[in-house]
Amino acid sequence: MNKIGEGLSCSSKSEVDGELVYIKTIEDVINLFDSASGKICIVDDAGITTLSPILSELVGTICTTGSAGSHLAIVSREFGIPCIMGIKLSIEDIASLNGKRVKITHDGKDNGILYLIK
Amino acid sequence: MKYVEFLSEAKPLLNLFGGKGSNLIDLIRLGINVPPGFIVSTNSYNKFLGDSHLRDQINQILSIEYTQKDVLNISEKIKNLFQKSRIPQEIIYEIKDALYEIWERNPDKISFSVRSSANVEDSKEFSFAGQAESYLNNQTLEEILKSIKNCWISLFSPQALLYILQMQKKKKNEKKILIDLKMAVIVQQMVDSQISGVLFTVNVLNNSLNQMLINSTWGLGQTVTDSSIIPDLIILNKDPFEIMKIIIGKKEKKSVPNPKGSSTILVDNKPELQNKCSLNESELYDLYNLGVKLEEYFNYPQDIEWAIKDNILYTLQSRPITSLKLNK
Repeated sequence: MNKIGEGLSCSSKSEVDGELVYIKTIEDVINLFDSASGKICIVDDAGITTLSPILSELVGTICTTGSAGSHLAIVSREFGIPCIMGIKLSIEDIASLNGKRVKITHDGKDNGILYLIK
Repeated sequence: MKYVEFLSEAKPLLNLFGGKGSNLIDLIRLGINVPPGFIVSTNSYNKFLGDSHLRDQINQILSIEYTQKDVLNISEKIKNLFQKSRIPQEIIYEIKDALYEIWERNPDKISFSVRSSANVEDSKEFSFAGQAESYLNNQTLEEILKSIKNCWISLFSPQALLYILQMQKKKKNEKKILIDLKMAVIVQQMVDSQISGVLFTVNVLNNSLNQMLINSTWGLGQTVTDSSIIPDLIILNKDPFEIMKIIIGKKEKKSVPNPKGSSTILVDNKPELQNKCSLNESELYDLYNLGVKLEEYFNYPQDIEWAIKDNILYTLQSRPITSLKLNK
């Protein structure tokens, strides 16, 4: 298991793993609609409120910006799923992570950690 | 007036002014500094839907089975219907009257924020509707009318249609709920803030009730809620007041009114401001006092949106923290 990122753990502190899906547009949400179950979604800029319709199916959310007061963090808390905001990734090309199995853990303080499962 | 009511004169009525609107009316009655403005009530939305026969047309569109592949089309179709229909004159007259009253009191150029206020309490079943549409920096009557229509249209956004599909998947029959929702619209003087953000009266990271959490940045606050930057993060101790932790964000950009009007733009933040905490101790203390007051008044932890302009603190919204599981 390789650590690939760390950010603010804004919601549930449970450990989860699942397939990572990189979401950029509402079309990506539509394509994921029937197969969102058990996935972890990562987004990297504004406009992410579009995740709301599939949030009840996801096991985790990640964003490269934002903080505890961002809309994505608020709705993730409502659904009780782990959420890492403002994650700093060691891998520059997020798209290369699309479809990979990842794990979210927490350091017991305020940080959430993202691992790539080999 | 029948369709429009000043915030300072209205009573908090969920069905007429929506959740957010009623909440602002409550805040004003409590003496909190809320930007002045008026609400276009759900009566206006109903009259518009009725006069333009949109209600029947939308019902017809939504009565046909659809899948996720259709939502962009359906949403676009409904949006076009709204845009082709005229807002009834009676409503426009009242909006105009209210605007002239505000303009008379303000010789300087002012702009308005236009925000949606659906008649549902903030809850996760309706987070698509509770998710406010905000249109900032409206200056003319035409811009304001257009933004009001956009707030109404947002009830039928692709996200909302997807949300309904998701509920159906879970065997809840919620199909007609979109047309049953009513939308009020809040038109307020926009605070062209130097600093803004959100304040939670508990630390939502660890649910500690004796701490508050603040996210803060330079410029308008939408960069905090829409995650286009990493704001500053501040944890306060509640009893007694103490600054426990400050984590400086990455505030490379800030949102400001578009000088050309009717929108906002993201501009580069001055380098010396990017790594400077956007709040000083006295501002933190003011926010702390606001948090204590609102939590006590509503008797529940609050999620507060605020803005500071020329050292004056404005409250833009206060709602219960929806994710807490408190033993009340």
